[in-house]
Amino acid sequence: MIEFFSAYADYWADWGPRLRAAALVTAALSVGGFVLAVLLGSLLTVALRSASVWLQRVANAYVQFIRAVPLLALLLAIYFVLPGAGLVLSGFQAGVLGLGLQGSAYVAEILRGGLGAVHKGQREAGLTVGMTPWQVFCHVTAPQAMRVMLPPLLNAYVSLLKDSSLCALIATDELLLTARAISSESFLPLHIFLLAGLFYFAIAFPLSMCSRWLETRLRRGRRVMGAT
Amino acid sequence: MQAFLVIVKMLSIGALTALQISVGALAIAVCVGLLLAITRCFVRRRWVQVAIAAWSEWVRNVPALAHLFVLYFGLASAGIRLSPVTAACLGLGMVGAAVLCDVFTAGLRSLHLGQREAALSVGLVPVQVLRFVLLPQMFRVTLPSLGNYASQLVKDTSIASAIAVPEIMFYARHLVTSTFETTAIYLGAILLYAAIVLPLTWLFAHAERRLELSR
Repeated sequence: MIEFFSAYADYWADWGPRLRAAALVTAALSVGGFVLAVLLGSLLTVALRSASVWLQRVANAYVQFIRAVPLLALLLAIYFVLPGAGLVLSGFQAGVLGLGLQGSAYVAEILRGGLGAVHKGQREAGLTVGMTPWQVFCHVTAPQAMRVMLPPLLNAYVSLLKDSSLCALIATDELLLTARAISSESFLPLHIFLLAGLFYFAIAFPLSMCSRWLETRLRRGRRVMGAT
Repeated sequence: MQAFLVIVKMLSIGALTALQISVGALAIAVCVGLLLAITRCFVRRRWVQVAIAAWSEWVRNVPALAHLFVLYFGLASAGIRLSPVTAACLGLGMVGAAVLCDVFTAGLRSLHLGQREAALSVGLVPVQVLRFVLLPQMFRVTLPSLGNYASQLVKDTSIASAIAVPEIMFYARHLVTSTFETTAIYLGAILLYAAIVLPLTWLFAHAERRLELSR
């Protein structure tokens, strides 16, 4: 047992800086992907809630389809097929695009659920007192929807972070690919992959806890329909 | 045309392997997840609770690909050689067990306490209470989450290609290097996954509606 851990002490000077650098790439990858997912997801939500039936159908079909396709297939297609159409992306760019496309479907579902949870009367009341639709959205609907959406959005980020590990398979120098490179030099795969897992855990676990805490915290004092 | 047939054939062989892994992992996930959930709900020992929670947090907050690498490359270096398919079933099953443990726990806790008390008071022994009263109701409550998990699992089998399991993406990557039909192969793979996962989600949605009606 002590032997097992002493390997970490021996190699930390080599592994530490490399894994830290890779963790930064993973962070950039997942944050970039998440920003793209939120942007696209918002657009999808606008389409899903628009008056045009066609727009709704297209957005709905997109969400259904993306949710049925594995991220790895999407990433490989983006990385290897798009160059044929003249669009050459680096592994990192392809990763952000893939994570964003995949995440947008999940974000759209969350936004749709959150906005749907705000009672229609809230919007009507806002309009009645003379606010413009945009004001109603910013000051009445969005803040209330935020209480419902924030915890699942945080969860969506955590799963996107974990999914970013798949970018190792399209040659992005993130945590797992770096771990693989190290493992083929040092022949200590068990040590290095557990350590890489620990890096993911160190980012994902606090966020998961935070999401769970927010969920109970934000529910406090929420007026549920039918309760009053 | 010849190349096209080869692509279709290879990808369908891959799909069969993907389904095998899905079934294997699902079996592990449901059995272990159920066992953990029941333990969590009915065994009040503090260390048991902490151990289950710690295990499930670790499994759920680390990417599945990292788990597969640990099981396949890591254990091999420690002298335990698993075949790629076994490692994939174990890894995905382990992740699924943690996910389903939470789902089943929530399901069991959503049932009214009186159900258990009533069943005990008419003379059923605890195992019968679980088998005939609690679990059937729990499965009905958790069906939507089970459906989500099942389709997620089929998609997740794609990452098993990273440890050389001959499933859809594995064949796709190999076909690309031999035929150079990049676009056709990757689009074919995407459509193949959609063709498996979409009917699966519809099936579960249908089952859910049926149960709603009969409730």
